[in-house]
Amino acid sequence: MKLKKYLTFTRAGIIEALQFRLSTVVMVIGNLLYLIVTYFLWKAIFASVNNEPIGGMTFYDTLIYLVLATALNGFMEMYTVWEMGRSIQSGKIVLDLLRPMEYRKYLFWSYSGGFVVQFLTTFLPTFIVVTAVTQGAVPLGLNLVWFMISVVMAVSINYSIDFLVGTVCLYTESIWGINIMKQVVILLLSGATVPLAFFPEPLKTVVQYLPFQSIYNAPLTLLLNKNPEPLAILTTLGTQLLWVIVMLLLGKLFWRVSLRQITVNGG
Amino acid sequence: MKRGLGFYLRIYARILVQDIKSKMSYRADFIISTLGMICTNIAGFVSFWIVFQNFPSVDGWSYYEMLFLYGFSLVSLTPVQCLFDNNWSLRMYVYSGDFIKYCFRPINLFFYYQSEVFDIKGLGQLAFGIGTLVYAWAKLGLPVTALMIVKMIVFLITASLIMIALQNAAAATCFWIQNSFYVLDFVFRFKDYAKYPITIFSPVFRFIFTFLMPIAFIAYYPSLVILHPDEVPLLSWLSPVVGLVFFFLSYKIWMYGAMKYSGTGS
Amino acid sequence: MSNVIELKNVIKEFKVLNRHEGLKGSIKDLFSRDYKTVRAVDGISMTIEQGEIVGYLGPNGAGKSTTIKMMTGVLEPTSGGITVGGVVPCRSRTKLAQEIGVVFGQRSQLWWALPLIESFRLLKDIYQIPDAEYDEMLRFYQSLVDIEPLLHKPVRQMSLGQRTLSDILAAFLHNPKIVFLDEPTIGLDVSMKAKIRTLIHALNQEKHTTVILTTHDMGDVDALCRRIVIIDKGKMLYDNDIEHLKGFFGSYRTLKIRPEEALSQAAEAIAKELPDFRVSADEEWISILVDEEKQKVLDVLGQLQHTHVIRDMQLEEISTEEVIKKIYEEGVQ
Repeated sequence: MKLKKYLTFTRAGIIEALQFRLSTVVMVIGNLLYLIVTYFLWKAIFASVNNEPIGGMTFYDTLIYLVLATALNGFMEMYTVWEMGRSIQSGKIVLDLLRPMEYRKYLFWSYSGGFVVQFLTTFLPTFIVVTAVTQGAVPLGLNLVWFMISVVMAVSINYSIDFLVGTVCLYTESIWGINIMKQVVILLLSGATVPLAFFPEPLKTVVQYLPFQSIYNAPLTLLLNKNPEPLAILTTLGTQLLWVIVMLLLGKLFWRVSLRQITVNGG
Repeated sequence: MKRGLGFYLRIYARILVQDIKSKMSYRADFIISTLGMICTNIAGFVSFWIVFQNFPSVDGWSYYEMLFLYGFSLVSLTPVQCLFDNNWSLRMYVYSGDFIKYCFRPINLFFYYQSEVFDIKGLGQLAFGIGTLVYAWAKLGLPVTALMIVKMIVFLITASLIMIALQNAAAATCFWIQNSFYVLDFVFRFKDYAKYPITIFSPVFRFIFTFLMPIAFIAYYPSLVILHPDEVPLLSWLSPVVGLVFFFLSYKIWMYGAMKYSGTGS
Repeated sequence: MSNVIELKNVIKEFKVLNRHEGLKGSIKDLFSRDYKTVRAVDGISMTIEQGEIVGYLGPNGAGKSTTIKMMTGVLEPTSGGITVGGVVPCRSRTKLAQEIGVVFGQRSQLWWALPLIESFRLLKDIYQIPDAEYDEMLRFYQSLVDIEPLLHKPVRQMSLGQRTLSDILAAFLHNPKIVFLDEPTIGLDVSMKAKIRTLIHALNQEKHTTVILTTHDMGDVDALCRRIVIIDKGKMLYDNDIEHLKGFFGSYRTLKIRPEEALSQAAEAIAKELPDFRVSADEEWISILVDEEKQKVLDVLGQLQHTHVIRDMQLEEISTEEVIKKIYEEGVQ
């Protein structure tokens, strides 16, 4: 009888302690699971072509690319659409608009803290582990600089798209639907799920002219390219810069027009 | 007063009709959500197709065989999406204490809770999955007999129980731990891994995905019954039993948690 | 008359972890075995007859909702016996559910997206209410309140008052033996409160339904209950007629005055002048509770006239509100 009493305490103690750490453990296991499945899947896929490189990418290239894309995805996701959608629906947006700061800037900077943390806790460790494990598959030189510049621009483009899509929430209540559409389109057309190198010809050309490839494909190509031509680097960064400006302007314009319409209609 | 299966089916049908009616009144949201679901499925299919543009097969599985598996997983994942979507809100009800309001009806608590939400957009996935299955079936030249179709339906339904069970159990963790969203999200990601043949994994992970996290029972084992009728492993035949047992266990866990919780929460 | 609820020496204990504050504290909590047992309900006994309306009162955290949960079968008592409607609640919860109705003032149990009439139809199916009884009930409802405009309105579009009204109607729909109402008038305006009270009264009269009412609003008690049960810290303080309770305080009078000055300032000043009395103020009056065994009302009035210009005055029996307050503070001798 006494023992049972103590065991109850032990059990409760275990549950209490677990609550504290479970979230981290579960998240780590979840990511590991993803890595394991990705590893075996692509291993099997490349085995079917006797491990020949396809579209210039070997099995290891593909794996590194996909792992880093996932890590990038982990910190690029800012839940902007949700944030905007919820504050529009709850009416909190009115308070946000009264702030002495442009709404898109306010939203960005209020999230930027989490951003830095995510970069340091997910991307950086993943990058270090991948670099160490693959020993030399990731070149360590000037490309790191290009990569950082490219990531900054990718973040900007991604945020602009998020903001643009979030603005749509002024017109509809369907946050879930809007967000999921944005998410799958970006992940597919940016080369985050399947590297662009594998895309069949006409599709590849189309994707090159869209802004999405500047989010994942551009920085990752710059990072993993072992002997880049200066012209290629310049073209990639130049294209990104162009998209940064275009998307920024589009986002601002759409927001301003939508807001005016909403205030006029008194919605 | 007896409340049997017929009673529950009638109640469910009633709630369903009403729920769909009220969802239709938000027409824009309904259309956009359905489009979103369709987009998700198309994107999934396109990435699948792109990979096979470059590679002829995966571990001896041809394009159409893989497609069959893919379609099978989509269909068997539909019930969890359509019928048990309220599991995602459970955490919030428990946290706010509103869960107690489900405890005062003279009908089964689990049923009453789950019946409240029918996620209609899952039907888009069902249509997409069935289309894929039929297409792959035809391309593979599989025979179309009554027996095959019955087998197919039985195995699809029992396979769907696995994911339902996993999700129930994951959702029920909120009765014991706070902020259990990550547990549910963790399990939810299993669905993405269901569409690969388990033979691509090393023996250790084959064991894990069969016995510890039964992902392979969502599509791989049950679909073998149709796909390779000549060499069906024992585990495939067992998959309906596994589905039923898991579902029953998850139901018990859920109910146990609910009873335990409703006592303490204010 | 038959007893529909019986509680015999009911005790309910909870185990709670002693939490510590701050980061250090939360780390300490990880290894802590510092549990304590809290007695939420401590030896409550009562019997309630069919058709009674009982006001179940007590300050926050007194153990009211724990008792209600035990009576509805959601919670199992640590010890003691409960029978409700002839069954042991926690053992036959679904069976009991057919015999009771429950309303929480703040939490609607209706289907959020559905028009009220559809919720009613679903409840009709769930409780297996025969057509004739259902129609008769709806007609009866219509005779009490104008429900027609509510019937086709989705619950989520209703005001709090309409929602509470709907929830109460839904709870009575299957003609239960007992209805538990938890703060049914909380957050409502005066006219809605009156409407809800009339409704509850009419339903109780017509259907002879037993009503257990927990509330902090003494207006509810005055309007509905003859009997009240008061508990605090899990223990029963009082269980009898409300008039009987007032009898304990028979020598008390409430002196109400209206002075020349602003009410709130005057109230403060008076509270200082009469430190042994309870002084409170509303929009119209300053109320002073006087125990005539100790000091005559006229003396108090005389004393006040020296310091304040009094324009109007009233003398009243002690109000239920005052009685309950005194009981929470001092208990029953």
